[in-house]
Amino acid sequence: MKYSFLVFCTLFLLGRVSLMAQSGENEALCSVNGSTMIGIGGYNLRDTYLSPGTDINYTGWVARILNERMRVVRLADYNVSRQQLINVEFGSTRNAAGVASEYAGFLDYSLGYHYRFLQVLPGLKVLTGASARLSGGFIYNTRNSNNPVSGKADFDLNLSVMAIHNFEIKDFPLTFRYQAEMPFAGVFFSVHKGEPYYFLTQGSKNGIVRFGSFHNKFVMRNYFTLDVPMSDFTFRVGYLNNMYRTDVNHIKTHVLSNSFMVGVVKEFVSFSGKRLKRNVHRYRSGYY
Amino acid sequence: MKYLLLFCVLFSSCEKATEYNSSPRDNFEALWRIMDENYCFFTFKDVDWDDVHERYDRLVGDTMNQYELFDILGKMLAEVKDGHTNLISSFDMSRYWAWYEDYPTNFYKEIQDNYLGTDYKIAGGMKYKRLADDKIGYVYYGSFSNSVGENNLDYMLTHFKDCKGLIFDVRDNGGGSMLYSDRIASRFLEERILTGYTQYKKGNGHDDFTEPNPVYLSPSDRIRWLRPVIVLTNRHSYSATNDFVNVMRLLPQVIVMGDRTGGGSGLPFSSELPNGWSVRFSACPVLDVNRQHTEFGIDPDTTVAITREDIMKGQDTIIEAAIELLLMNKSTPIVALQGT
Repeated sequence: MKYSFLVFCTLFLLGRVSLMAQSGENEALCSVNGSTMIGIGGYNLRDTYLSPGTDINYTGWVARILNERMRVVRLADYNVSRQQLINVEFGSTRNAAGVASEYAGFLDYSLGYHYRFLQVLPGLKVLTGASARLSGGFIYNTRNSNNPVSGKADFDLNLSVMAIHNFEIKDFPLTFRYQAEMPFAGVFFSVHKGEPYYFLTQGSKNGIVRFGSFHNKFVMRNYFTLDVPMSDFTFRVGYLNNMYRTDVNHIKTHVLSNSFMVGVVKEFVSFSGKRLKRNVHRYRSGYY
Repeated sequence: MKYLLLFCVLFSSCEKATEYNSSPRDNFEALWRIMDENYCFFTFKDVDWDDVHERYDRLVGDTMNQYELFDILGKMLAEVKDGHTNLISSFDMSRYWAWYEDYPTNFYKEIQDNYLGTDYKIAGGMKYKRLADDKIGYVYYGSFSNSVGENNLDYMLTHFKDCKGLIFDVRDNGGGSMLYSDRIASRFLEERILTGYTQYKKGNGHDDFTEPNPVYLSPSDRIRWLRPVIVLTNRHSYSATNDFVNVMRLLPQVIVMGDRTGGGSGLPFSSELPNGWSVRFSACPVLDVNRQHTEFGIDPDTTVAITREDIMKGQDTIIEAAIELLLMNKSTPIVALQGT
């Protein structure tokens, strides 16, 4: 039943994608807000598969690249926007004694749709919606024997809320955004406490894919950005707080990070693919 | 300022964690608990771990230095008599090696050199050569940590295609990867066989194990060896080597010769203490086909020890006995090299 619900939600989100693919010429009027940011910050890891019987934290740095694309789509009379996020991160940490290292890497992609409440207050938009996220990664302890790696793979359905505020300081236009995202249901992978990954190759696979919700998983992403236009560019600075906590199969994990981000924003109209062919008289391509 | 404080509280970790701690007593308690919850052979070895706590608790003092503490904790771990159990600091590694140190060596590299000479071949981690007028193949595999590829095995077995029998020597092989154990053993299989069972601890109690999960091994689809094989073992054949012998002894064309293996049938896991020391311990038992532990070793089919006289003559009694037995075997193998 849980999995059926997930499949339904996933199909719903994918259904939105196919609806969009049928959108008409008005879509050309909807520009894409795209940004690529790099970030660096603090990392805090704990995984009791890697240190059974204790609760040692490893702390260090994390570096990440975050690509975001956001545009209005034709759903609900153009009151819905689509957001895609691709995050790649890698971190290096040490234990408190400074004698052992853990490395971690994660890659995740999320696709979200938000209903837009425009002009809630002057200059303020509020967006609420849902997203689906697929992520995978690892935490690697350099000195362990048969438990050197804790692998992670998650598929989540999230609630998402965003506030975007356009304002000016002495006629200088700025845009502030806060977004919070939190999964409410999903599935994720976890071996059992004390189970070597080698056993998985021998067919011991019971219970390694679990339904995830608030009873065994708490994940939250808080994202703050400020857009600053300068000359022909718009710079974006931000702060990303990620909390990932799971307690499943007698293994407790947390991956906590706080990253300061910087990057550039592009606002553009995408007319590649068939749209370019249809509107060839309206654009002058340097290539096609 | 108050908003900044609220911000930090909201987005920072507020879980309780074990901080760096060099207190002898706290580290003693942490080590005892890690073992208590995760070590897998307490019942099999009849170790009263609570009694161990009581005895060693009296020895730990709040003012002792790290070297004294390390010695005491190392001795506490030695109570489980396990070669897979170590305490590792930046200055030392505690160990229990009596499983081979208290027994005859039954392997001398200088004497083995008299058989290998200098013109032996090397494929992956294996040294190999034809002996006894090219009638017998001899392979020495000294560590399951040294990689052995499928191509290595193909070339090695092809080199012995005209040999009557094969000696596979795993003496002094302290173990390594079980993947190599499976890869090599699959070259000697005629059909898929049950090789044993695996378990792991599903809870913190000493006997909180999962049901034994059967483990099967399938024959390799590349070159296989189905003629007579003698596997040579000694007390230093440990861990993954013990697992290899555990599989090979099931095969009809295989004889295990030499001394009892060292055992080590628990897959080790690692954890750490608040002061940063690492601890390794047996966590997951690998059972044989009769669901019995082989933690204390596997007896050979034919017990042979290197004699003092042979040592004086530079002869390896065990290799000589293996050659003699293989040459005596007049039966023609049903299938020779498969897959050639």
